[in-house]
Amino acid sequence: MSGDIVMAAKMIGAGLAMIGALGGGIGVGLSVQGAVQGMARNPDTYGNLLSSMILGIAFSEAIAIYCLVIAFLMLFVM
Amino acid sequence: MKKTFKWRWGVHRWIVLALIILNVIAVNKYSPVQPHIQVAAENIMAKPLFTLPVIGDFYLTNALLATLFMYIVIILVALAIRNSVKKDPLAPKGIGGIFEMLVDAIYNMTETTAGKFTPKIFPWFMTILIVLLFANLMKLIPGFESIGLLHHAEEGYEIQALGNGTWSTLLNQKTTTGGYQLIPFLRGVSTDLNFTTALALIAVFMIQVIGVQANGPRYFEKFINVRNIFKKPLFGVIDFIVGLLELISEFAKILSFTFRLFGNMFSGMVLLAVIGVLLPVFMPSGLMLFEIFIGVIQALVFGMLTMVFMAQAAQGHEAEEGHE
Repeated sequence: MSGDIVMAAKMIGAGLAMIGALGGGIGVGLSVQGAVQGMARNPDTYGNLLSSMILGIAFSEAIAIYCLVIAFLMLFVM
Repeated sequence: MKKTFKWRWGVHRWIVLALIILNVIAVNKYSPVQPHIQVAAENIMAKPLFTLPVIGDFYLTNALLATLFMYIVIILVALAIRNSVKKDPLAPKGIGGIFEMLVDAIYNMTETTAGKFTPKIFPWFMTILIVLLFANLMKLIPGFESIGLLHHAEEGYEIQALGNGTWSTLLNQKTTTGGYQLIPFLRGVSTDLNFTTALALIAVFMIQVIGVQANGPRYFEKFINVRNIFKKPLFGVIDFIVGLLELISEFAKILSFTFRLFGNMFSGMVLLAVIGVLLPVFMPSGLMLFEIFIGVIQALVFGMLTMVFMAQAAQGHEAEEGHE
């Protein structure tokens, strides 16, 4: 009985932890938006913008990945 | 004579079709089993390899075995490149040519950011990039996370012997009494937290070393900034607090390096395992393509962030002085 409750709490906790991915998604969207607008205005900057964009995406994606790691730790550890 | 590359689309099409049909047949005969997912790398041997007095036992884990395997592959590739460059030093063909292109592209990328510190920073970028490329792409080898030892488990699966009984396969029938679970021989190297932590520690430590080499002891003024505290008391205090934040961000770098790589690769592993059970035909291939993309991007991002932080540490102070 108590094991089942702990299991349910783990599942709910993992689901709640993933709410944080919201911010990461918004961040990735904004950085791609900025980069694509810059590319549309000045197509010559494509190469520079692409590498900076990937770097920025990796930074904001990391936040979502932390949430994912927390969710994994809840689900699969112990 | 220059040979033009002939795209053998006509043949490849039938190979792909045959593989899809084989996939459908195999999935119907042996339906995929959801593996036991565990964050820590699994031990292959029951007994520890050796024991240190304070730290504890050291086990041979499957991620460790995969790391050894990865280094052997890297050494073999390095020897192949050496051969290829020796044969034709000006324009190496084959694998030498590929790596010449890669090194050239990465060197140019480093030069635009790091400037005159390029010779010092470039080797770190390239080493991390190559190690992570091999680490992340090694899961393309067939049987990478699917061949291993069977062991008893509380909630396991039934097994069926293949051939004369040396090898067995898991069946998709759960039993509560005396089932088996699989421990793969090789597991993705970056899905082990120890590997990513070690790499992040090396990267962040070398960032400090390069900062000190470039700026001397004045590098540490970035962290404990008491230069202006008596001249301009208000801004001096703010500078001091900003310096403390810089110190904290150095430790945050270790965490973010570690968990970015680990989270990406581990989530890829879990995704492949779960999708493989839910939708075993054709979908895992598409996801595998996506995982290759993620692996290459993560290798590039780890190396590029190290390079950018090293360049900042090396030239940050000079830029600050230039503003004043």
